[in-house]
Amino acid sequence: MKQWVTLLKKEMLELARNFKWIWVPLTFILITVKEPLTLYYLPQIIDSLGGLPEGAVIELPVPSAGEALAASLSQLNTIGVLIIVLIAMGSIAGERKSGVAGLILVKPVSYAGFVTAKWTSLMMLIWLSYFLGYFLSWYYVGILFEFIPFVDFLQSFFVYGIWLTLIITIVILFNTFIKSPGAVGFFTIGIIVLLTLLSTSLSHLMEWSPALLSAYTNTFIIGGNFPDELLPSIIVSVIAITISMIASIAIFKRRELA
Amino acid sequence: MEILESINWAIIAPIVIIQLILMAVAIIDLVKIEKANGPKWVWALVILFINLLGPIIYFIFGRRS
Repeated sequence: MKQWVTLLKKEMLELARNFKWIWVPLTFILITVKEPLTLYYLPQIIDSLGGLPEGAVIELPVPSAGEALAASLSQLNTIGVLIIVLIAMGSIAGERKSGVAGLILVKPVSYAGFVTAKWTSLMMLIWLSYFLGYFLSWYYVGILFEFIPFVDFLQSFFVYGIWLTLIITIVILFNTFIKSPGAVGFFTIGIIVLLTLLSTSLSHLMEWSPALLSAYTNTFIIGGNFPDELLPSIIVSVIAITISMIASIAIFKRRELA
Repeated sequence: MEILESINWAIIAPIVIIQLILMAVAIIDLVKIEKANGPKWVWALVILFINLLGPIIYFIFGRRS
């Protein structure tokens, strides 16, 4: 346990040295808060761009508070996920390349501890950034449109967070057996895109797919109700997270010893 | 100029400040870092002139780890 805390501290220090504790939360805030703002000021933006014939009237439907918050979530689902994969793709592969992993693992450090410490530090960074971004976006939606009940906000926060957790775990899993950080990022993005495409196009067959968690959260924020398929997809996600975690420890052990 | 007045600056200001902090941190890091992933002056231009994404691109791709 004491050893694990030391490993975790080392990861935290590394995140601090790379300024990740500063720029990742700020970036998440920027990409999420931007959405309600642009939706709110859309009429003015169109006006100022000009180029409309004299007397042209554009009636823009005023988006509901739920739609504005859902727009922030969709930003998280594209740019947010991309950033997560990009910062996590080198976490083990990069260290192995630079030789740091070898330096640490030559000591009697448990492989499970090494992998879980990495995972935990990433989880803390991403969940913190995700919370800040999503919370501020909720607050802005409250000021500009109307306040969505805080309980609803918390529920959607945790449901969508499961999907982000699964992504972090998949990146770590690929990290354990692919040597180049670039390839790790490429394969993870590929899997995520494939999973999302498959489950949105075959949504009647794959109601349990974790990739649909974001769609379910959207329906919940806009409509106020979670669909019935939510529970199976949460269960599948949690199982997938556990299996990937166990698999990454097992693979990492064998790869390092070989 | 009417448009500038119709905007509530109390709402926009935090976003602008966050953007400036990101930019400042990126520039400070670029100055202190021994070697960037490419010429430093190019990265300085990227950070300063690519709106919103510049500092992020620098932090992800510019630092040689």
